[in-house]
Amino acid sequence: MKFSPDGTMLATASADKLLKIWNAEDGQILHTLSGHTEGISDLAWSPDGEFLATASDDKTIRLWNIESVSTVKVLKGHTNFVFCLNFNPQSNLLVSGGFDESVRIWDIARGRTMKTLPAHSDPVTAVTFNHDGTLIASCSMDGLIRIWDTDSGQCLKTLVDDDNPICSHIEFTPNSKFILASTQDSTIRLWNTQTSRCVKTYTGHINRTYCLFAGFAPGKRHIVSGSEDAKVYIWDLQKRHIVQVLEGHRDVVIAVAAHPTRPLIASASMEKDLTVRVWEDSNISAG
Amino acid sequence: MNGTLSNPFNITYPTAVQTSLVSGASFAKFDPTGRFVAGGRPDGSAVIWDLGTKAPIRWLEGHVKGVTSVDWSRNSRYVLTSSKDWNICIWDMASDLDPPLPHSTIRFDSPVASASFHPRNSKILLVLLSVGESYIVDLRKEHRGRYELVETQEESDEEGQMNKPRAAMTVARFDPTGKHVFVGTSAASILVFNARTRTMIARHKLPGAGSMKGLEFTKGGRRLVTNSSDRILRQFNVPIYSNPTTGGEIVEQELEPTYRFNDPINRNPWHAMSYSPDGEWLAGGAADNAQHKIYVWDIANEGQFASALDGGPEPLLHVHWHPHKPCIASTTNHGNILIWHCPTPERWGAFAGGFEEVDENVEYEEREDEFDIEDGDVLVQRKMKEEEEEIDIEGLDGNAQAAPDHARVQTGDDDEDVAWALEEPDEDNREWRMRIVIEDEE
Repeated sequence: MKFSPDGTMLATASADKLLKIWNAEDGQILHTLSGHTEGISDLAWSPDGEFLATASDDKTIRLWNIESVSTVKVLKGHTNFVFCLNFNPQSNLLVSGGFDESVRIWDIARGRTMKTLPAHSDPVTAVTFNHDGTLIASCSMDGLIRIWDTDSGQCLKTLVDDDNPICSHIEFTPNSKFILASTQDSTIRLWNTQTSRCVKTYTGHINRTYCLFAGFAPGKRHIVSGSEDAKVYIWDLQKRHIVQVLEGHRDVVIAVAAHPTRPLIASASMEKDLTVRVWEDSNISAG
Repeated sequence: MNGTLSNPFNITYPTAVQTSLVSGASFAKFDPTGRFVAGGRPDGSAVIWDLGTKAPIRWLEGHVKGVTSVDWSRNSRYVLTSSKDWNICIWDMASDLDPPLPHSTIRFDSPVASASFHPRNSKILLVLLSVGESYIVDLRKEHRGRYELVETQEESDEEGQMNKPRAAMTVARFDPTGKHVFVGTSAASILVFNARTRTMIARHKLPGAGSMKGLEFTKGGRRLVTNSSDRILRQFNVPIYSNPTTGGEIVEQELEPTYRFNDPINRNPWHAMSYSPDGEWLAGGAADNAQHKIYVWDIANEGQFASALDGGPEPLLHVHWHPHKPCIASTTNHGNILIWHCPTPERWGAFAGGFEEVDENVEYEEREDEFDIEDGDVLVQRKMKEEEEEIDIEGLDGNAQAAPDHARVQTGDDDEDVAWALEEPDEDNREWRMRIVIEDEE
């Protein structure tokens, strides 16, 4: 589940093989797109707002044109479930990772794999570009976070914690100096990419089984993550304490998304609940 | 960005060919962001390559005869192509049209040898015709017109030479500030014009140089290198010119080159040359009929010859240095654009977290407290304390931010010439996006 770059739409994809686009204002469904033959694990908006990409268990990635609401490309190449993907800031490359333990870099215009990185020894759970597209970070169930050079495909660095917990989601900070990593020991860590040290840890939520999304809340001064106790947790970025817990969901909150400009957070929950909730910070100045 | 992780060394020069782009081009130029390369073809078309995907993304078909030059506007939105078919086409890369159509076409009465955008406004063009005349073409509503740059004859022998034809102009370039136009002539001289008033402000003779073939500036515009028919590249420090409204006198001055570069063995002439982004290296493309050679000189080190890059058997036609990386595009006469880079060896140590690769055996000295058992609580507390430190997740490094800006030349914005150039600005803002055109599956 992710907001579009301009914040007017929210896209959700799920195990029911469908991609839904919602109006972020009033919650109306704008489009329902079908095409995948298996469940969808991740989706990404291209930064130029032209495309949506979805990663599916049918081993393909579908590229959707938002204006014409149709599939423009089906990217085939992964040999197992595709689990995660992201666009680069120039919107000309897509990076994806999957259960075949590799990371693939795709040329969007031609729909071809440009590079395959033998990245990990377990399923890849998240891949992302940094702010200028020169680096790729990937993380995996093998507990490693690797940083790659986009141009050459060379591994530049590996970040590893002593206990090697399964790493489920990563995100670069806006300046790419740090990586926010969620691991399945119910911890979120902020790593300094230059010194390879963990500079902040955030705890309090529960994360032991699923790959939950975590991210920076609007305003970039808080960290937001879902949790397996059906709540959404918000931490103070610097001080590391919980500032707010959002309750309302009735099952694991698997995904959270922050609005690009307004103080809104969307969260999505699993089986028993199956809802998407959008939360607003009514006290905007507090943000 | 990745420089901070991967490459601790400063920019040097490239050493190996990374890719060859088959494009049928006779020359190729990087755009100011370094994301694209534009190649001009003898059949009248131009091709834009995306270096991120190494794929051609636009074909610009607007000429019926060979393309003689291409230029990018400062934020890469507009592309100019000049051609032997007497036309100049300007293309808008933000346009949705596919195939693209020229945004405007300007016609002359003879083949166009080269054309370029003003560095601050793409509505002002400098055009050199193959008959040896150069023009400033102003496309702005207020200033619209086509103005010839005319060489003022030397006063002393004015009478005797009134009927003598003027020397043909063979190369014309804006300096990086856009305040001046430098024109090379067939009579071994460089003429300097003010771009706004179009009056000649200086004439520099280069005795023995012969006909001028090329002119290149460093990014800051403080130094320039010339290519001439005597097969020598000369580097000069650019003098500071006074304002034409206050002075009025034409500076007659011979410039003494700070360095001269030539090929001492084969005496090869040069096709093109290009400075590295920091101006510390100069690459010269040799006009050798049998091989593809790029000579690199180390300007910071007294202009010493540093290396000759061998690009294989296809002779070279053109070289251009990447705007901020140690990367060169050189074009072969078979139409291939070679992209040179600095290969970095794979560091296998990077795959193992917490390990470091060493080149030779290192005697390991154990720290006094290395294996001391510490209390877990103390460790946690110390860690917590360390984490108290404030961090900055949004601010970029000084030099990372300066990177896109260092192309910009420092001049006071209150300057008349700058103000003139900034009137009626173009829409070449930084936020424009090159639309991704999805290729049909064949």
